[in-house]
This record gives sequence, structure tokens and C-alpha cells, in this order.
Amino acid sequence: METRRGFLKKTIGGAALLAAAGAVPLAFRKTRLREPRAPLRFFTPEEYSVFAAVAERVLARGLADMPPELATAAQRRPTPPSAAEVDVAGKADAFLAPLDAASAKELKQLLLLFDNALFSLATGGPPRPFTRMSPEQQDAHLERWATSRLAVRRTGFQALKRLTGAVYYSQPASYASVGYPGPPYELVRTVNAPRSRR
Amino acid sequence: MSGIVRGDQIREDVVLTPDLCVVGSGPGGAIVASRLADAGAEVVVLEEGGHYTKADFDMQEATAYPHLYQDRGNRATADLSIAVLQGRAVGGGTVVNWTTSFRTPDDVIDSWREKDGATVTPEALRLHFEEVEKRLGIQKVDLDDVNANNRALYDGCKKMGWSVDTTRRNVRECLRTGYCGMGCPVDAKQSAALTYLPHAVSRGATIYANCRARRIEWDGTRAQAVVGEVLHPGTQQQTGRTIRVEPRELVVSCGALNSPALLLRSGLAQGPVGKKTWLHPTIAMVAMYRDAIEGFYGAPQSVASHHFARRAPHAGFFMEASPVHPMLAGIAFPGFGAQLTSQMALLPNVAVSIALMIDGFGEGEEGGTVSLRPDGAPSLDYPLGERHQECFRAAMKALAQAHLANGALRVSSLHLPAVVVRSEKDLGALDAAPLGPNQCGVFTAHQMGGCRMGSDPAKSVVRPDLRHHYIDNLWVVDGSVFPTGLGVNPMESIYAVGSWAAQHVRAALAKA
Repeated sequence: METRRGFLKKTIGGAALLAAAGAVPLAFRKTRLREPRAPLRFFTPEEYSVFAAVAERVLARGLADMPPELATAAQRRPTPPSAAEVDVAGKADAFLAPLDAASAKELKQLLLLFDNALFSLATGGPPRPFTRMSPEQQDAHLERWATSRLAVRRTGFQALKRLTGAVYYSQPASYASVGYPGPPYELVRTVNAPRSRR
Repeated sequence: MSGIVRGDQIREDVVLTPDLCVVGSGPGGAIVASRLADAGAEVVVLEEGGHYTKADFDMQEATAYPHLYQDRGNRATADLSIAVLQGRAVGGGTVVNWTTSFRTPDDVIDSWREKDGATVTPEALRLHFEEVEKRLGIQKVDLDDVNANNRALYDGCKKMGWSVDTTRRNVRECLRTGYCGMGCPVDAKQSAALTYLPHAVSRGATIYANCRARRIEWDGTRAQAVVGEVLHPGTQQQTGRTIRVEPRELVVSCGALNSPALLLRSGLAQGPVGKKTWLHPTIAMVAMYRDAIEGFYGAPQSVASHHFARRAPHAGFFMEASPVHPMLAGIAFPGFGAQLTSQMALLPNVAVSIALMIDGFGEGEEGGTVSLRPDGAPSLDYPLGERHQECFRAAMKALAQAHLANGALRVSSLHLPAVVVRSEKDLGALDAAPLGPNQCGVFTAHQMGGCRMGSDPAKSVVRPDLRHHYIDNLWVVDGSVFPTGLGVNPMESIYAVGSWAAQHVRAALAKA
């Protein structure tokens, strides 16, 4: 994840907004914390909590806009495990641990800005941290980042969304819910066994 | 000692003085190492990635991408607008390549001769292509062996009256599991790690895996040494050990992003180093079918259409299929919440086709630029302009038309939000949808240019024989020397051009 380079620097008013965040009452500024399952290696508790909240909404289940011919098949699939059940934030923490210093700094800045109440207010959202918004407000917040006219905010959304998608959908726990039977281990075993004896 | 040495086996700093050092073990480096080892040269290969065998390839994306790809699968342009799929292992990109094998089109080589003063000719490459095809088992796919994901594109093109054909693949006794991109679990894919590299080792070459070349030491017109750091195979972090190779001839084969980065880190910035990087920028369309496609199984790429490759004056594109595994889909499918998860829930019914823009032939086209991050790693910028957008729109419409003609329920784009095409009358929406950075998914699996070959030192980095313009015993042999994109998947071209260039390296060694 090398791409948040200069994220704050490029974000118009980002630094000024962070500096002004002191003006907001303390209760509204603080990230709503979640308890990690394992000791954190990359995230701070705040960053972990922001990412966990993002992952929850990115992976929120819905059957919107499905071709009617296929809706029944999709609905018959097992219920997808939640982001928390798969521990998306914990697995992302482990994945990110070896990240280079510059990229790590940018990702951390992105997460703090994403949860900043004043930045939300200044960009048309409620004056609350992302982690303290209702699910509907959170979705609107994500949508504003995803479709922002500012390219750097779209970049920020993509960084969080792709990391979430990569971690969650690469877990075998999610396979059944997307109709993926998994790798053909039997076939490979039957072929490799005689070949390796040869 | 000859063989393959892993980073964790290197317990002391290493200093070596072979005839030849090759940095990078992808198709270019592997074939040069093989040819020169055959000629009796003492050859050392440095490879940043790890050495993996079929037992390591567990067909899980969570294992494959962090181990077998650059930046642990997260390489992208600096603004994240283009995701970069690029291999990183002993064998380089050939370990994860989707096996599509094409010769370089003659007219592309001719254009290099006309515009850049290149000396390579289609005739000169013919014998090299033939040898590579024999060695790698490159053969045309039977239409009966094409999976439903590729067949949908094939049939759609046929119904539109467009030219389309099965491709040639570098496999032997292929099971068509569908996992080429995660390392072949049955050694059917004839990667460099199974062919040219073991051959080089059998002739006395040594491959140092987990060794990252940091810089080239040079003085005047001679490269004196290449200095690298040893990485731990598991953590990929530095172990603190170093490796120093002082060869008579030095070949840089790190690929189109890492080769210019190595030259730049070494202060070898003469000429357009890292400039005019070509990516075959790639868009995808997601077609939904009533019947199961199961694009996660079967040979991932086995058909291609070059029907729109020559759209002068507009940029051409070619169309192929992409494997449909959950992680790649979860990254690529647009949006979040219901928009993302509802499309994911229909994964078995999805066919994914891609269109690759043929870049590098436009008047004044600059392509991408490789520069250095503060830590010395390559940073890539590739601005997408009006030329790209026109091509992407035409390509999206073509893919949508092909799948509609083939009976898809609907075809959707990777715009955010997706443009959903249910019939011909929806195609116009693809013209209106924005294509700015991160408004639509764009990818690259073909990285070329950045150390282009040519006769003019102001306009190229290496001479027509692939020797560096200023450093007499330094060569660049990989996709970075291509002055343009190829218009076809580049792996086989890199092998053949590498085999051709190996003759020049051999002659230089004989003289030195």
C-alpha cells in the first residue's frame, strides 16, 4: 500500500483542519474504540477501530440490483461471515506489519483523517468521527469519499476498500458465501502423487 | 558451489567474481543465464524474490500474492489509479504468468527500426522464437479445452463477426486447474524456474534468491560491482548480510519498473531512464450469465481477439479473459456494501473479459514515468489522458456488445458506480461515465519500456544490441528495452529478445 504518499499534503486544507480539530468538544472527537483479538503490530487501537468500522460497512451484505433470474441462487448461499467474524482488521494488521515507513505513515494519516469529525463536517457530513456515526451516515461518508471530486479522497477510499476486499475475500471462510468451492486439492493430489514417484 | 542459495542460508557477507552477473531471473535474465552458462561462462544470478516449488503453491490467493508478486501484491501507480500485477520470484513473472504466448508482431519490430534505430529484425528473432516455443512447450489451445469464461468472449466475438482465436500456451500436460496466477501446482506451466534456470544451474550457474540488488558501482565506462542486500525468505526483511558481485559483464533484467529504479539508484540517470513506460493499460467488464461460468477453474486465458488492434488514428486494443477468483474480484468489483457484496454473491455466474490498450504508438505519447521513493523503491506515475479514455470507452462498448450478443443478462463496468448495460441502448452510458483517476478500475499485467533501446543516447538508454550507452560492460535485457507496447502479451517476446541479446553478451565476454 504505497499510495497514500503525500496524502495530507495533497488534501486541500487537511492539515489546517487537523489543527483546528481542537475546537470540537472532546466527546465528539474521540474514535470509538474496539477491542482487538490479538496484540496489534501495525495499527494503534484508534487506527484499528477505524479500519474495523470501515470494513464492516464495505462488507455489509445486500442483494441490491440483482438480475431476478439469479436472485434466488444468491439468496440460497450461506450467510457471509461478518467482517468482525473473519477478523478483517486483525488480519489487515498482520498483513501491514512489514509495510515500509513512508507508506505506513500515509495509511495511518488516512485513517485518522477518515475518522476526523471536523473533516467530515467540512466535506458535507455530520460533525462526528466515522466510528461514531450511524450505519447510514457511515455509508454516506464512504460514498462522499468514493465519488469525491478530489482525486486524493477517491484514492483514500480505494486504499481502504481494496485492503478490505483483499483480506476478506482471500479467506476460505468467505468462499461459500460467494459460491466458490475452493481449490481442486484432490485433483492436484492425484496428479502429483504418481508424478513425484516417477 | 552451484545451485540455488536462499537468503537464510547466507550467514556471512558474500563477495563473488564471476564472468557474468545477471540481476533478475524473469524471462530475460533466465534465458541470458542459460545461454551464457551453456557457453561455459561462470554465471551468478541475483533474484530479490524467493525460490518456490509446486509444493509451495497452495492455490490460495492469500498465500500467492504476498509471496509471488511485487510489493506483496499491492504494487500500483502512485495515485493508486492503476493496479500493477508483476511477479517476484525465482523465475520472475513467468511463475505467475497466465501462459498466453505470442511472438512479437513484425510491424512492431519494424517500427522500432524505423523510429528508434533498433537493429533487431523479425528474421533475426525467428530462430530464437522457435527454440523458446520448443523449450516451453508452447502450443495452440484446442477450442474444446477453453473454459466457459474464455468461451463466452470467443462466442461473443464470433456473433459480432469479429476476428478471435484460441491462444498458444506454455504448458505440458496441463490439468487446467485455473491457478496459473498463483504458481502452477502441478508443474504443467513451463516457467523459467522449471526450464532455463535449472538448465543454467546444471551448467554451473548459481542463483542467489532473496538477494535484492541495491546499486551498481561504476567508474568511467565500466561497471565494477553490483551490491545487494540479503532478505529473509519468510519476512522479506533484510537479514543484515550483503552480497557483492564483481563480474566482467553485468546484465540487468529486473523488469520495466525495477530495472530503471536500479539504474537511478546507481546514479546512472543518463538518457530517458524510467521514461516512456508502457503498461497496456487494461479495463475489464463483468458479464452476468444465467448459467454457471465458474471462471475460477480452467485455463485462465485461452482466447484473444485482436480485431480492434489497429484503430488508427485511435489507440488499438485487444481483448482477452481474466481469471475470476474471489480476492481479485473483491478488489476489482466497484463500490462497497450492497453494490459490492451482491455482485460477489453471483461470482460463479460472472464472466470477466479485459481489453488491453496498445500504448506507445501515439504521436507525442509519453506513457509512464518511474522515479524513486525515499526508500529507493520504484514509484510509477502513468497519467491517463484523452487518448486512453477514448480507447477505454470503445473497448468497454466492444466487450459489452460481445457479451450481450452471447446472451449475457447484463454487462457492467468497473466504474464507481458501475454502468450496467442490459441492451444496446444502454451503451451510450459508457460514453458519459467519468474516467478520471480512481473513478474506474484500471490494471496492468504487462510492464514495458523505461530503458528503451535505440541508436540515439539522448532518446534511449541502451544501444540497439542492448548494451548501455555509457557503461560498456552493462546490459539491460528485459521488457524495459521495448520502445513501445507490443500489442500482445509480452512474455515470449522477452524470452526471444533475451536469447538474441545473449549472443552479444557472449561475444563481449569472449573479447574481454
